[in-house]
Amino acid sequence: MASQSASCPNCGAPIVFRWSSSVQTVCDHCRSVVIRTDVDLQKVGVVADLPLDGSPIQIGTEGQYGDKPFVVAGRIMYQYEQGTWNEWRIVLDGGADGWLSDAQNELAISFRVDNPHLPAPEMAPLGYSFNWNGVEFTVVSRTLAHYAGVEGELPFQYWDKTDVMFVDLRSERLDFATLDYSDDKPTLYIGKAMDFDALRLRNVRTFEGW
Amino acid sequence: MAEAQGRPVVSVRSVNCPNCGAATAVRTFGHAVNVVCQSCGSILDGKDPGVAILQQYTQAVRYEPLIPLGTRGKILRATSASGPERDADHEVVGFQVRQILVDGVAYQWREYLLFNPYYGFHYLTEYGGHWNVVTTLRSLPEGGATPGSGRSRSYHGQTYRRFQTASAQTVFVLGEFPWQVRVGETAAVADYVAPPRMLSGEMTADKEATWSLGEYVDGVDVWSHLSLPGAPPAREGVFANQPSPFAGAAGRMWRAATLLLALAALLWVMHLATAREKVAFAQVFTYDPRGIQDSSFVTPVFELDGRPSAVRVETATDLDNQWVGVGYALVNDDTGQTYEFAREVSYYQGVDEGESWSEGSRGDDVTLSRIPSGRYFLRIEPEGDRAGHPVRYRVRVVRDVATSLWFLVAVVLIVIPPIASTWRSATFERRRWAESDDAPAASSHDGDDDDE
Amino acid sequence: MSKLYLLYGLIVVGAMATAQYQGWRLTPVGEAQIAPKTVRDNPGSYRPVYGGFRRYLGGK
Repeated sequence: MASQSASCPNCGAPIVFRWSSSVQTVCDHCRSVVIRTDVDLQKVGVVADLPLDGSPIQIGTEGQYGDKPFVVAGRIMYQYEQGTWNEWRIVLDGGADGWLSDAQNELAISFRVDNPHLPAPEMAPLGYSFNWNGVEFTVVSRTLAHYAGVEGELPFQYWDKTDVMFVDLRSERLDFATLDYSDDKPTLYIGKAMDFDALRLRNVRTFEGW
Repeated sequence: MAEAQGRPVVSVRSVNCPNCGAATAVRTFGHAVNVVCQSCGSILDGKDPGVAILQQYTQAVRYEPLIPLGTRGKILRATSASGPERDADHEVVGFQVRQILVDGVAYQWREYLLFNPYYGFHYLTEYGGHWNVVTTLRSLPEGGATPGSGRSRSYHGQTYRRFQTASAQTVFVLGEFPWQVRVGETAAVADYVAPPRMLSGEMTADKEATWSLGEYVDGVDVWSHLSLPGAPPAREGVFANQPSPFAGAAGRMWRAATLLLALAALLWVMHLATAREKVAFAQVFTYDPRGIQDSSFVTPVFELDGRPSAVRVETATDLDNQWVGVGYALVNDDTGQTYEFAREVSYYQGVDEGESWSEGSRGDDVTLSRIPSGRYFLRIEPEGDRAGHPVRYRVRVVRDVATSLWFLVAVVLIVIPPIASTWRSATFERRRWAESDDAPAASSHDGDDDDE
Repeated sequence: MSKLYLLYGLIVVGAMATAQYQGWRLTPVGEAQIAPKTVRDNPGSYRPVYGGFRRYLGGK
């Protein structure tokens, strides 16, 4: 987790990458999207302020997944017809990267899983089942979303994407999976649905009157 | 639960209605997709800084929520939910009135949207004084995507029976919602029950299905957890997932009844096995009705031994198309204690148009109860038709007689309470299902509703 | 509630056992007062309380 300090290529303000696995961050001052190459930092775009959002999680929130502590490092916010949700990037003790998805306070932790045989979007209709890691997952939702904003440090370059298809799957128990069709090839994330208390979240947002 | 660490607090905000200018508080900190102007009822876009109007309408009828918006309390404590979540405050932030139409009659129910910034959204629904706390499910129950398909559904190992399918229409909205609402919009809904729980599926025109799980709660608990004044509305009828106060009781009673019946059967069999049926006296007599009228006589003395027990006196005759009456008196030779009883025996038979018939019986038995032991004799006085034939009859006195009468009485008394209990439970269930789609044809109205 | 029923049931079974053992009848049959000592010698002198029966006016 070596910190690397540098200056924003756009406005010169200090930029810090707290995690070595981070590729992209957002400059707090000018809101430029800055990516880290082998040589230097590059500005690739600008993000607008994130839309109004009720998530209780924020950059810096700490929690625990089972016995593994983690910190929230960044976020991608998506917008779809019914509203928005967040994919919070978490970094576990030891450096592993994961995601905490937060859709109207429904939380789930998932990690990328390499799997060469993933279905195309049209091959994963509602109610269809797949077997991964010995668990049967059933498609529970298909959402067409577009990018609404980014914040903090992300492990890849990601901003200003057009509509992306997300397919969520769940098991009989609490297993959770997402098929992410952002790129040419689908990506699979597998994990578990978690509730707020089970994640032992600390340093969460406070709300007036609560 | 949260340490501020200097991070900014998310503030409560309010929006000004572009239609009427009134200010409406927004309580859900960025979750609100729709906000209803508390003054004119217009539905505003909660995410648009310019606060666009999404639906404008004049409300003919304004519905007042029984639980005012802004009410807070630890309402989840009324359910069987576990964990710190149930000890957290939830606030009423939205209110909807929805209805279904059955045979032209509108059945309305109310939904209250509950919010907690850390635990998200739940619902409190009410119909006819029956309350449910409802949570949206993320997994799909088995059985197909369309909510109404399948007579039963399975979820987390429990089977739910389909109660009703209907088209639900939104009639009135107030407050704010994390999804799009419009007055007049309809959704296909289906309810499945496994009291005290109810599984509900809802599908809007865009074919997206949402499933939720409701748990029945007592209105009294709702009122106390939310610290509401007054009393909750009175309950009408039996609700779809209302738990039966009788179900368990009937089963327990039948289990106890089985034990009791087994015990009774054992005692009865023991009684049958140990009843000696001892013949204390037997003799054959002849009675000629044409003879002298006062034909009474006494038998020799015989012994009735053992504990006080039943005595059976048998009269066996050779009657043929005749009747005879026998007046008995069983007299204790020592004490003079007398037991009187008169018996009548008649037997008629013949052939009529090729068919033989008979009426009556040639023999008669009578049982006397609790005769103490001692030396006894019988005084016998026969009587008959003056024109009849002589009758030969054998009189037998049997001591310590077996009877199954009391066993039958006991069986009846033992099963009456569990039968009553089962009947009460069945009546309750009948009333429950009378409101469902499966109601018997006699009641043509598919009453009630359900909730999300 | 179930305890109450069990108690009730045990009473019923107990009463049943007693009734069987002691030879009870539902409708006790003819009990009369003490008969005089002379009945044995002169049965005709005893006039039963329960005299007379209904005549059977027979037929098919």
